[in-house]
Amino acid sequence: MRHLTLASALLTSMAVTTPAVADGHLKIVDEPLELTIHMHHKRYPAYNEDWPVEQEARRLTNIHLKNATIGSNTDNSGEAINLLLASGKLPDIIGTSRIKDVVNQYGPQGAFMPLNDLIDEHAPHLKAFFEKRPDIKSAISAADGNMYYIPYLPDGKYGRAYFIRYDWLDKLGLDVPQNVDEVKAVLEAFRDGDPNGNGLKDEVPYFARQWEELIRLVTLWDGRSSGSDTYHDFYVDGGQIRHPYAGEGYREGVKNLTEWYAEGLIDPEVFTRGSSAREYLLSEDLGGMTHDWFASTSGYNRLSSEIEGFVFKAFAPPASISGKRIEEHRRIPIKPDGWAIGGTNKHPVETIKYFDFWFSPEGRNIVNFGVEGVHWTMEDGKAIFTDAILGTGRPVNSQLYELGAQLHARGYFQDYGYEIQWSNEFALEGIALYDEGDYLIDQFLGVAFNKDEQAVYDKYWPSIRTYMLERQQAWILGTGDVEADWDDYMADLDKMGLNDVLAAMQSAYNRQYGG
Amino acid sequence: MTDLPASSAGSATGVSEPATRATEKPMRERLVRLADHFKREWQIYVMLAPMIIWFLLFLYKPMYGLQIAFKDYSIFRGIVESPWVGWEHFETLFNNSQFLRAVKNTVIISALSLIFGFPVPIFLALMFNEILHALYRRTCQTIVYLPHFISTVIIAGIVITAFSPSAGIVNTIIGWLGIEPVYFLTKPEWFRPIFIGSGIWQEAGFSSIIFLAAIAGVNPSLYESAVVDGASRWQMMWKITIPSIMPTIIIMLIIRIGNLMEVGFELIILLYQPATYQTADVINTFIYRQGLQSGQYDLAAAAGLFNAVVAFVLVMTANSISKRVSRTSLW
Repeated sequence: MRHLTLASALLTSMAVTTPAVADGHLKIVDEPLELTIHMHHKRYPAYNEDWPVEQEARRLTNIHLKNATIGSNTDNSGEAINLLLASGKLPDIIGTSRIKDVVNQYGPQGAFMPLNDLIDEHAPHLKAFFEKRPDIKSAISAADGNMYYIPYLPDGKYGRAYFIRYDWLDKLGLDVPQNVDEVKAVLEAFRDGDPNGNGLKDEVPYFARQWEELIRLVTLWDGRSSGSDTYHDFYVDGGQIRHPYAGEGYREGVKNLTEWYAEGLIDPEVFTRGSSAREYLLSEDLGGMTHDWFASTSGYNRLSSEIEGFVFKAFAPPASISGKRIEEHRRIPIKPDGWAIGGTNKHPVETIKYFDFWFSPEGRNIVNFGVEGVHWTMEDGKAIFTDAILGTGRPVNSQLYELGAQLHARGYFQDYGYEIQWSNEFALEGIALYDEGDYLIDQFLGVAFNKDEQAVYDKYWPSIRTYMLERQQAWILGTGDVEADWDDYMADLDKMGLNDVLAAMQSAYNRQYGG
Repeated sequence: MTDLPASSAGSATGVSEPATRATEKPMRERLVRLADHFKREWQIYVMLAPMIIWFLLFLYKPMYGLQIAFKDYSIFRGIVESPWVGWEHFETLFNNSQFLRAVKNTVIISALSLIFGFPVPIFLALMFNEILHALYRRTCQTIVYLPHFISTVIIAGIVITAFSPSAGIVNTIIGWLGIEPVYFLTKPEWFRPIFIGSGIWQEAGFSSIIFLAAIAGVNPSLYESAVVDGASRWQMMWKITIPSIMPTIIIMLIIRIGNLMEVGFELIILLYQPATYQTADVINTFIYRQGLQSGQYDLAAAAGLFNAVVAFVLVMTANSISKRVSRTSLW
């Protein structure tokens, strides 16, 4: 593989019908073939031929992509893809974030090509991947059983975790909280014990950048807040689709969180403080505990140079009232992002081979790390970043985006090795802690509706969701009483059609996952 | 004002109501007059053309797409190929209690904005008019115009900060009075005052320009003769300024009523929370959530069409009332 460059430079013909294999036969066509592409993501609103990763791929495969992105002036990929569809002319390849629902809805109408047969016949790496991961194949299939897109598949399991100020615990003589009661005691101590030592009672015991991370705490009372990495999502309980906001644990959790909120254990401005909450509350030495992403939250330990003794580290999920320790959030193995083949593409075979290229070992390294010899070198069979990437002091992921690597509007399989090389030591320590305890739970990977199910979902779900969130906030803020309102709430959900939505989801789920 | 071609449509119905159309002229004569008119005044119509073209392209052509309110719309199939579903989307809307609530909120927020927001620019204009010191007046005007030029996102940021329970100026001030901090932006009862108040703060200054212009157009000889008659400034304001700018006020009022259903929803989206949907959710934010976020363009079009029909009825009503009561009207 080290002779990849040389081998492909020497390579001349024969590659047309031979599948791309690891010996360097990556050329898909003899003569350069141009394909058009719509590629939209809020980080890169158009495809760029000059990305080093793209140049490398072009050299190896002889497939030349030409930018045909519509809607580059918006950072909303959903708007862009709708504009593209409404224009009636689809390019050969369509890559965007949030592509799943679009292809599942319009693929069966002919806008996108079904990929199953193409993969079986022409894409050995994709085929091998789906044979190994039938769950992923089920999850991306549309209601008619066909796959219409190749997803971006994140690697690495961990997403968010519980974080707490270890130095505050030390100062107050407390241990890391192990269960829900101890969490409450710690938060009370943070509120009353003046751990930041400024003489003011200004500490914010629990805060969150997204207020939904407050609702996440209902897992401490055996409730659920979401079944996937999307907030307020459905979850699967022993083959049954349920909604977290219609469960007993949720009721108990909200009741307690309401008390916590009223007692000042939770940021009083949790609903409006927004994305700057973590930055502000940590750098002002005010915030005590949160639930947030491993990597970026661990990064705040750089504040130890300004705040004496500052240590903000992950701790194991506290045991719930029944003694269960779960971490509800994790990286989902499949994103709804990726790319698809336009229904009018004249070269579907070459296109699927091109998609397959990115799943070959060579292609996977290029899409994850950049160009070999420039951005990374092979050491002991592993791609290791060079100083060209690690020596700049800038965030590695944004450097990679500039190279055209790690673009989520492309179907590829991420390699966690890319992230572990620049993760902060606190993050790695936390991940090791979570690994040891095995706290993650299975995720709901979503369903693809047929037309009738979609109609039921569209008719009832947006209103039900709105109603659930309204009641949720009202309870937490104390303008309603969850205990008193619960029966009416459940009756309202029923009246608004929750059971119809659940039935529609269940039938889609059974069809898709063979339940 | 010239008799525009639009009113010639009246001649067709003129047959059934001859009594009210005593001055009806024969069709031919009118056409000749119209041709003459165009020949003489063509420059004016050339100047008018860009606006007419703008209207046709951006307001009339899109009306073609309104039909998706009655269709099961698929973006990929396109408008023509999507099947008709009749009134289904309207039935869905009117069976949805959240839509009815949004209609109610729209009317309440608009009506309150009109009642509290409409007089403010008039007061401002009258007050500016009374300031004699030119530099002072210009400074004041600039200060009240400024918020108009700030983007809505920043306005929302300012409002959220100002009403924050921990650091906001509002809670700091009421804290001095010994009142516990209030988390205003999650209280349904506070949403409307905050929204309407920030709207007035942002736009009142700029809206006063049109009234200032109207005041500037009042014939100075009226004031001169009033001074000779010994009128006070107060009397001049009541007896000369306000009656003189009354047509402008009424025209502005009719336009405002026509826009009654168009609540500035960008600011609402930035300020509202599920906790305040109860009073804050208006038709446009409902359309945004239900239609655009969930991709139900046909349903959103139905809601938008309903909105437009109500607005049309309102502006017609306001115009005819005003025509009868004050003899001032848009058409």
